[in-house]
Amino acid sequence: MSASVSAPARRNVELLEEVWEERRGLLGWITTVDHKRIGLMYFFTSLAFFAAGGVEALLIRTQLIGPEHRLLTPEAFNEMFTMHGITMIFLVVIPMTTGAFGNYLIPLMIGARDMAFPRMNAVSYWIFLGSGVFLYIALATGQAPNAGWFDYVPLASKQFSPGLNIDFYGYGLIFNGIASTATAINIIVTIFKLRAPGMSLARMPLFCFAFLAAAFSLVFALPSLTLACMLLELDRQLGFHFYDVAFGGDPLLWQNLFWIFGHPEVYIIILPAFGIATSIIPTFVHRRMVLFPVVALAELLVAFLGFGVWAHHMFAVGLATLVTVYFAAASLVIVIPSAIQIFAWISTILTGTPDFKTPLLWIVGFIVFFIVGGLSGITVAAIPFDQQVNASYYIVAHFHFVIFGGAVFPILGGMYYWFPKVTGRMYHERIGQLSFWLSFIGTWVTFFPMHIVGIDGMPRRVYTYAASTGWTVLNLLESIGAYVLAAGLVLVIANLAVSLFRGERVGGDPWGGDTLEWATSSPPPPYNYAVVPTVSSPYPMWDERDRERDAVRLAAGQGVLARGHETPVSSVQDGRLEEVVAMPPHSMWPALVGLLLFAGFIMLLLSHFVIAAALGGAVAATLIAWHAYEPEHRPAAASARDLPSGIWGMSLLLCSEVMLFAGLIATYFYLDFRAAHWPPPGLPLPATLDPSILTGVLVATSVPMALAARHARRGALRRTTTLLALAAIVQAGYFAFQFHQLLDELHTVNPQGSSYASSYITLLATHHAHVLLGVLLDLGMLFWIGRSRLTGYRVSGVRTLALYWHVVNVLAVAVLLTELYPSL
Amino acid sequence: MSEGGRPGPRRRLLVRGVCAAGLLAIASGLSGCGGRQSILAPRSQQTHVISVLWWWMLGAASVVFFGAVGLLALGYLRRRSSGLPVLGEREGVVNAIVIAFGIVIPLIVLVTLFGASDIYAIRFSAAPKSGSTRMTVQVIGRQWWWEVRYPATGAVTANELHIPAGTRVQLVATTADVIHSLWVPRLARKIDMIPGRENRILLETPDVGTYLGQCSEFCGLQHAHMRLTVIAEPPGAFNSWLAAATRPSPATGGAAAGEGRALFMARGCGGCHQLRGSEARGTIGPDLTHLGSRSTLAAVSIPNTPAELAAWIRDPQAIKPGNHMPDLGLSGGESQKVAAFLEALK
Repeated sequence: MSASVSAPARRNVELLEEVWEERRGLLGWITTVDHKRIGLMYFFTSLAFFAAGGVEALLIRTQLIGPEHRLLTPEAFNEMFTMHGITMIFLVVIPMTTGAFGNYLIPLMIGARDMAFPRMNAVSYWIFLGSGVFLYIALATGQAPNAGWFDYVPLASKQFSPGLNIDFYGYGLIFNGIASTATAINIIVTIFKLRAPGMSLARMPLFCFAFLAAAFSLVFALPSLTLACMLLELDRQLGFHFYDVAFGGDPLLWQNLFWIFGHPEVYIIILPAFGIATSIIPTFVHRRMVLFPVVALAELLVAFLGFGVWAHHMFAVGLATLVTVYFAAASLVIVIPSAIQIFAWISTILTGTPDFKTPLLWIVGFIVFFIVGGLSGITVAAIPFDQQVNASYYIVAHFHFVIFGGAVFPILGGMYYWFPKVTGRMYHERIGQLSFWLSFIGTWVTFFPMHIVGIDGMPRRVYTYAASTGWTVLNLLESIGAYVLAAGLVLVIANLAVSLFRGERVGGDPWGGDTLEWATSSPPPPYNYAVVPTVSSPYPMWDERDRERDAVRLAAGQGVLARGHETPVSSVQDGRLEEVVAMPPHSMWPALVGLLLFAGFIMLLLSHFVIAAALGGAVAATLIAWHAYEPEHRPAAASARDLPSGIWGMSLLLCSEVMLFAGLIATYFYLDFRAAHWPPPGLPLPATLDPSILTGVLVATSVPMALAARHARRGALRRTTTLLALAAIVQAGYFAFQFHQLLDELHTVNPQGSSYASSYITLLATHHAHVLLGVLLDLGMLFWIGRSRLTGYRVSGVRTLALYWHVVNVLAVAVLLTELYPSL
Repeated sequence: MSEGGRPGPRRRLLVRGVCAAGLLAIASGLSGCGGRQSILAPRSQQTHVISVLWWWMLGAASVVFFGAVGLLALGYLRRRSSGLPVLGEREGVVNAIVIAFGIVIPLIVLVTLFGASDIYAIRFSAAPKSGSTRMTVQVIGRQWWWEVRYPATGAVTANELHIPAGTRVQLVATTADVIHSLWVPRLARKIDMIPGRENRILLETPDVGTYLGQCSEFCGLQHAHMRLTVIAEPPGAFNSWLAAATRPSPATGGAAAGEGRALFMARGCGGCHQLRGSEARGTIGPDLTHLGSRSTLAAVSIPNTPAELAAWIRDPQAIKPGNHMPDLGLSGGESQKVAAFLEALK
């Protein structure tokens, strides 16, 4: 705020302070839905896991410092490198980027007052925390996952890993995936719907493009991991046969499902880092990004192409040559959008007047490391070379340059860059630079020799090596590098921690940044902006007239929106103001959902399935109760034609569910392709008539659901209720009948008997679970509209529910065609 | 930067950093090459082609890397003037440079690489066509050792793969338990061993010698101690080795060996191990029919001497913790007798 604030402006600010006042103390943090507080909780939690993952890395490096060391037992070593991988990927980089940076900064950058779904945002955090605690309980009780972060079967099967170690992995990652999916959906809808008036897609910061691309990748990639882990636990706990060759399963099914997730994952990790780089560079180089639209497009393209390259992790498994050549070609294509971005950054630095302060140094380090990692990545797209160095230390070098140099360096740069925004204080510049140089040299010394030792034949994941291999000197060097790197990282944290109390105080915009977060005070107030900013270019902070106009509007009370936790909602493409939505204030429900889910996953782990189901029911009841609060919608424009946020959110959730079913159906046909007889001899062909009629009945409920949505929009409460109830009765009847059929069928089509029966039963059961969830949502909706009038919130709810059913019905047809396929 | 024209401490630091990185790269490069498992010391046509491919890729990658770092350094040196040197500030020129370096040049380089590696070089490491080799060996990965079979004969051995030099050999790779990966860097590309699949690679070297290999897919507790040697011999020597390896377990003389044999049979060693031609017919552990003729034990973990073998038999978990051989409760003396017996099985 400028010093000369007029009296009316001050009154408006006071009003906002009152409306947005936060609860104090621990309870305030537990019940908060404020994106900045949630962002900070994400930050500190993932920082704690970063420390844990770092200690694991140091133990690994200390074990390997010389030949035949016996610091760690083989079992401890295996747990260390597995936990290091899982921790750094699932508990550090993803939550740190999407959870901490995305949460804190995206609403500020687009001029919003919170994320699109503030309570879901809090749920994401509690689930993430729960999944992290879940995985570390495994370590604390001496049964941490120990089959590597990609957990190949059959090593991870019950036969070869009978302990709970792998079950912690399977359930931990499913649990963690819920949090990441929810955060991703939240980020996408926030970016789509909550941008300040005037911020069309073309004027959106590149940071948001990068996070948008990463979030889309998460929504579409995670279901594959969830499915892989789900099938793994079915194999392990219930004796199904997805991965077991003896009964028609295939270990390569795991590898395919895992890497369909695992490769997009690399871009999920790296894209937010691109976003951070494209935020820091213009600020310190004092010029706009070269080729802004091309860079935005390249970011989206990287995310998209990342889905077509997974089998390049499998060049040594004996795939047909043609298949490997396709995947190598696709992998080479990704180089192009990455190269565009690298040269856009370099030429922006080259043509601007760079001020090499700490944040920019980290970005320059990132560019250098990302080039090394990119080049070594290109070399492994040369199939014969990959068939030499695959699963050797060369690969360890490659992905640490990409992930540590490429993703963690920008994160650290970002910590320095936004530190004054978050704390209102400046870090110590000299020590900041020293911490950079220590980390930069440490990273080189740790990871560069790994290329050579890999070429020299050292496989990854060996807990020791013989002196006669000649790998001793390089390993010693790597370990020394790791200690130097650790010193650099400790210095980063020490610098920031001391500066938090002793740093020089700064104003809203210490750097002369280009994006909107610098327009508000440091740290930002709970409502972010006293007046909703308007935007007329991609560099809103460099448009001084707009910001001056904001001050005038504040005094005039235009766009203050202080009737509740209000934020404007605008159209997806051109950022036209459409309505003003009141956001929910603090809530106890998210933490409760997290706690119940945590208990539920513990019960699943221990094979107490009935208790787990009861806890699942408790989660459903909590979710229904949570919708007691109805935020207010008021249209700001006469013609709000865009879909409301809720529909966007549900659409994205359904995208993720469609991917899950696509994976299941693909699994069914993959196993069919591997089998000589499908179904195996002795099993009946599926009946065609009954399931077809039943599915027809279920699909027909789309008609009353669609009509209910239409009547709801017109405000016809009675008709809406009648139609919903009609649909719900049919759907519930369908579920009861089909579930009974399924229980019958378990006797003939025994899922413990063959891969056919496993995939058949799992496909049907997953479908039924979605029908059951829909029936519960029906009941919840009937309960709430029965108790109150049809508010805008409920209308949006009915439309969302109708959409859910339409998609479930389409999936029902797909499931039907798949299960009937042997009979067709 | 607020300092004047003189190189500030920051710049000196930068220069030092770059020098340190360069020196490090050179030093580690010198110490790394030529090892016993290095892909850059090839002894077959396919590994030779791959090493040539590597040197070309390294060359091209170095040009790109130092070019990009040079541009960044230029950006540092010209940090107080905007625009490009010589070319000035025109946006069109800057965009053209990004398009050239970001699209056009990479496209040419990548197409070339794709042709050279994935269309041309890949042929040398492809699985041999059936019937194109004179000989087939079967290698079965097991936690944590390698079973080697010569299908045309009855010969079975472990952790030592004998081949005739100068002969094309088809290697069939399978697994008895989890996924393993057979990697003998100087002779061939690696190949994964996957349940339910038979993978094949070509093994051929003109050079007589002993080549080290190692499991390269994480396979559990003793992944680190799952190594093997490939012994390429002149065809004559190979043939006599194979003939000997095909024969049943030899009769042994001497009192200690006799007692060792009795202990071997009495303590149930034959439940897991096979001595062809005797009542020991186990198939869980390595075939010991000619153990005395092998040069190492426990998948190249220890040399095959009577003392090492006795120590292994006495406490197998000390050397390879977690391996599947149980402690049989033999005393020191008993272990030595069993070892004497096994060492006599040439």
